[in-house]
Amino acid sequence: MEPVGVAGTETRKELTLNMGPQHPATHGVLRLTLDLDGETVIRCTPHVGYLHRGIEKLAETRTYQGVMPLTDRLDYVASVANNVGYCLAVERLFGIEAPDRAKYLRTIAFEMSRISSHLLWLATHALDIGAMTVFLYCFREREWLLDIFETICGARLTVSYPRIGGVLQDMEPAVLESLEAFTRMFPEKILEYETLIDKNRIWLQRTQGVGVISAKDAVRWGLTGPTLRGSGVSYDLRRDVPYDAYDRVQFEVPIGNKGDVYDRYRCRMEELRQSNRIIQQCIAALPEGDILASDAPELDMPISGKKELVPEMSLGNASLAFGDRVSVAPKGEIYSAVEVPKGELGFYLMSDGTGNPCRMRVRSPSYVHAGALAKMCEGGFIADVIAVIGSIDIVMGECDR
Amino acid sequence: MKQRFPDFIKKILFVEILKGLALTFRTMLKPPVTRQYPKERRDPKPGFRGQHAFVRDAVTKREKCVACQKCAIVCPSRCISIRYTTDDSGARKLTKYEIDALRCIFCGYCESVCPVCAIVLTETYEYASYSRDGFLYDRERLLLNWDEFAARLKRDSYFNMFWRPAGCDVRRLPAGKREQQAIPAGRKPEAKSQKSEEENTENGRPSPSVGEGGRI
Ligand code: SF4
Ligand code: SF4
Repeated sequence: MEPVGVAGTETRKELTLNMGPQHPATHGVLRLTLDLDGETVIRCTPHVGYLHRGIEKLAETRTYQGVMPLTDRLDYVASVANNVGYCLAVERLFGIEAPDRAKYLRTIAFEMSRISSHLLWLATHALDIGAMTVFLYCFREREWLLDIFETICGARLTVSYPRIGGVLQDMEPAVLESLEAFTRMFPEKILEYETLIDKNRIWLQRTQGVGVISAKDAVRWGLTGPTLRGSGVSYDLRRDVPYDAYDRVQFEVPIGNKGDVYDRYRCRMEELRQSNRIIQQCIAALPEGDILASDAPELDMPISGKKELVPEMSLGNASLAFGDRVSVAPKGEIYSAVEVPKGELGFYLMSDGTGNPCRMRVRSPSYVHAGALAKMCEGGFIADVIAVIGSIDIVMGECDR
Repeated sequence: MKQRFPDFIKKILFVEILKGLALTFRTMLKPPVTRQYPKERRDPKPGFRGQHAFVRDAVTKREKCVACQKCAIVCPSRCISIRYTTDDSGARKLTKYEIDALRCIFCGYCESVCPVCAIVLTETYEYASYSRDGFLYDRERLLLNWDEFAARLKRDSYFNMFWRPAGCDVRRLPAGKREQQAIPAGRKPEAKSQKSEEENTENGRPSPSVGEGGRI
């Protein structure tokens, strides 16, 4: 390209670079336009929407039960977390309380999904920065958890294990035994990953002081989860607004202080240990009892109080159709949030009394975090953009919905 | 200063890098954890949500579906279409049952709600096809799917975990599911293996067993 400028004046040219949506390091279909001055990023503009499937709109045409498998497809790396978040929102709206055992089982599954999500994050983040070995090691351990998911619900990724008011099925002793064996083995494996990268000078150079966001900015940009905690803000919904069995287990909320890529990495590594602890405590304290609340809606819940009118129904039933339309769900609105591996996942549900949500809105952490990329990448190098994207751990399924 | 000196030595000697290399070399001597897929196949766990099938009834040799439409109602991706006729006594007769497997999201809701345990998601996961028609499963194809699956099954009997999920309140289930027994399928039971099978099954449901190293 010809430099444009008048002879004698400094020639300075900005270059606009399109990164993604097919870039392997953007973790899906994120597109960034980078305005560059040499290698320095002056402006970074994220573009989202390439994976938009209209899940929020789709939810309006499905029953409360039918929406559940859709939430699997938000953050498909930690689908239990989405399921539980959705189920809790519906339970709070309907006034259903899951039995104790179900709460514990959900907490176990939730933390399993957090571990498997963080393992996938560590694997890809390390791969982006150039540490191939960690990638393979993480997948090795993740496989164990996916096998357990497959045993308890028949799917490895899009599990739909929780149900509104409980869980699909009990974990059998053999499953719990296997899970316990995993938690005994896992801390050693975390040490292995740390041996490989924690003190590695290449890793430190690529991550320390990169993508810094101050605590004040992090709050202002609406960051949540480890991305916020890396900046030193101690905010965790599991501790601050406990749900399921989180008020009955002990765990710490690790925080960083500099708010750079390395601190966010440290936070997540520590969270792996805490999740492991939570699973151990839940298995030890698992109470006996039911796994589904008795007032939980059936899978084939009616859309309105009037039953489906079919010709061969007896007169008694048919009168129900013409009688008053009883609401199947309480009317009202609710916002309910959980701490998924990425941050705060909120479901805003509006009910008009029918079996379909009148409006569902998902507050997804990835969407907010993708926005904050503009702030974090500013002033860094192109190579740092990769590290920063990895460190905020976004999943485009959740971001675009 | 005292603190920094060993750090400095560590840095010169590449201690952290050598430690990492030692770990990878140790791992190199361990047996590989990967599977050579087409050669080494992995059996899915019982209850895996794979290809759809109609359970073939031992008596009628046909599907058990009573055209109640429940599966079509709950299906979140609306991929089941059912047609039926009603005879004088009010009994329904299935005339058309079609699943568009390309739209299915394998949520398992259909097998969960089916009151007579007719539709199941089998453990078959390899079913590519050259055309879209190959994924449009009608009644015959669904029965065929079952025959193929039942012949290949490595267990003596088949019990789908969605028929009676462990720990569920059986009073909430319809009679058809409460009374459903495991279906004999797969290889012919041998006298010896049957005994061991009986030990770790309850109601015909295969329980997961913990293998070497605690893995399921
Ligand atoms: S598994 Fe789910 S999506 Fe597939 S046919 Fe059954 S109900 Fe429909
Ligand atoms: S739920 Fe079962 S019986 Fe009812 S229509 Fe579907 S397959 Fe047939």
